[in-house]
Amino acid sequence: MLAEQTDEQLLKMALDGDEEAFTALYRRRHGPIFRFALHMSGSLQVAEEVTQDVFLFLLQRGGDFDPERGALGAYLFGVARNYVRRAMEKSYTEATTTCTAEDDDSRLVTDFDPVRDIANSQLSVAVWKAVLSLPEHYREVVVLCDLQEQTYADAAQALGCAIGTIRSRLHRAHDILMKKLKNTAPSLIGFTGDAARCLS
Amino acid sequence: MTCEEFMDAAGGLTPSQLLRMRSAEDQPLVAHVGECGACREWLESHRVLGNALHALSASTAPLEASPKVEQMLLQAFRKQEFAPRAVELTQKAAKSLWTLSRFFEAGAYAAVAAALVVGVFLGARILRDQQNKTNRAPLQAVNAPQSNKAAAAAQNSEARTTAQAPQVATKAATSIASSAVAARKQSAQAAASQANSAENGGFVALMLCDPLICSGDEQVIRMELPASAVTGVDSSTTQTVLADVVIGDDGLIRRMRIVN
Repeated sequence: MLAEQTDEQLLKMALDGDEEAFTALYRRRHGPIFRFALHMSGSLQVAEEVTQDVFLFLLQRGGDFDPERGALGAYLFGVARNYVRRAMEKSYTEATTTCTAEDDDSRLVTDFDPVRDIANSQLSVAVWKAVLSLPEHYREVVVLCDLQEQTYADAAQALGCAIGTIRSRLHRAHDILMKKLKNTAPSLIGFTGDAARCLS
Repeated sequence: MTCEEFMDAAGGLTPSQLLRMRSAEDQPLVAHVGECGACREWLESHRVLGNALHALSASTAPLEASPKVEQMLLQAFRKQEFAPRAVELTQKAAKSLWTLSRFFEAGAYAAVAAALVVGVFLGARILRDQQNKTNRAPLQAVNAPQSNKAAAAAQNSEARTTAQAPQVATKAATSIASSAVAARKQSAQAAASQANSAENGGFVALMLCDPLICSGDEQVIRMELPASAVTGVDSSTTQTVLADVVIGDDGLIRRMRIVN
């Protein structure tokens, strides 16, 4: 029965003291929040802390959520984004991820190893590192739109900007990713030329 | 299609859309890629990127927070004192009640202010009426004994008239009698006017004035008047008398008294 309820209905029931509704909402939504925090921070520990903080926030301030302004999922991504920022500011030296395109991959510190835990392909590792080295505002859109497969509208609501901004940032982020991969793994990406110079 | 047009069109597509670029709408793009090696290379590299991002997303999809997080959250949930809704409702009710109370408070202040204004106005009115009454009361008290004198004077004049009657010829008896009646009337009027003047501190009323109508402000002016104007006889003399004249707020003389 709870599975048929929308996120907003579950939240309302949870705020009325229904523990089962809160549990159902957590189990439905904690995975994307956890992965978003993981992709953004590159740290399992930070991801767990952020997930916990997001749902505690929902428990305490969930009454502030306005369904007319957007979906609960996008709202939670917005809350998670703020907690990720705080966590990364707090442990900047341990989890430096606000790198420029010229940053060295060796500066990336992460306890999550896709090679060991998930994917064994070298390309995934290279892409993963390239994503983590993106500037924050580009990394956010790549994580939300490419990795979390959110729509542009939901990403715009979560990040508090216009859809056009999301689109342009994503385009720019892909270009940066391609340049990084060209430098780090040109053979893997199969990129040797520069199409922008072709005016045929 | 030029390469710039291709870049404009393909640049707006997501990696996953680039992977699925097979539809009829995408035919110009596909056709250009078949002709241009550089654009084909760009497209392939972005498709590889899309594949890699998709693979990374799929590989991290099973990852979730540990059960500890859920347990901790449930503990926090149980510790939290619920009825946040009730609290929220209470807070809203308190807020609206406070607003309402402020409204009533302002209304009460306005009512008190209005009552004060009305009270001051009525008080001033009553005070003025009382002052008017107190101004009239002493005059009545002082002039009461003098009315007896006026009555006595009237009786004397009547007696004088009757005493003089035998000295007049019998032919004029009837005229004397009628004059005696007239003199009696005059003496009665004089007595009445003297009584009135006694009531008004020696002022003689010059006009019949209804107290309800002539109750406005009055002004006493001391002036010199020709004696003829006061006595009504001997108009040739230039002698003057000093008199106090009471003038009403309509400009007419109400009463007067002779000072010397």
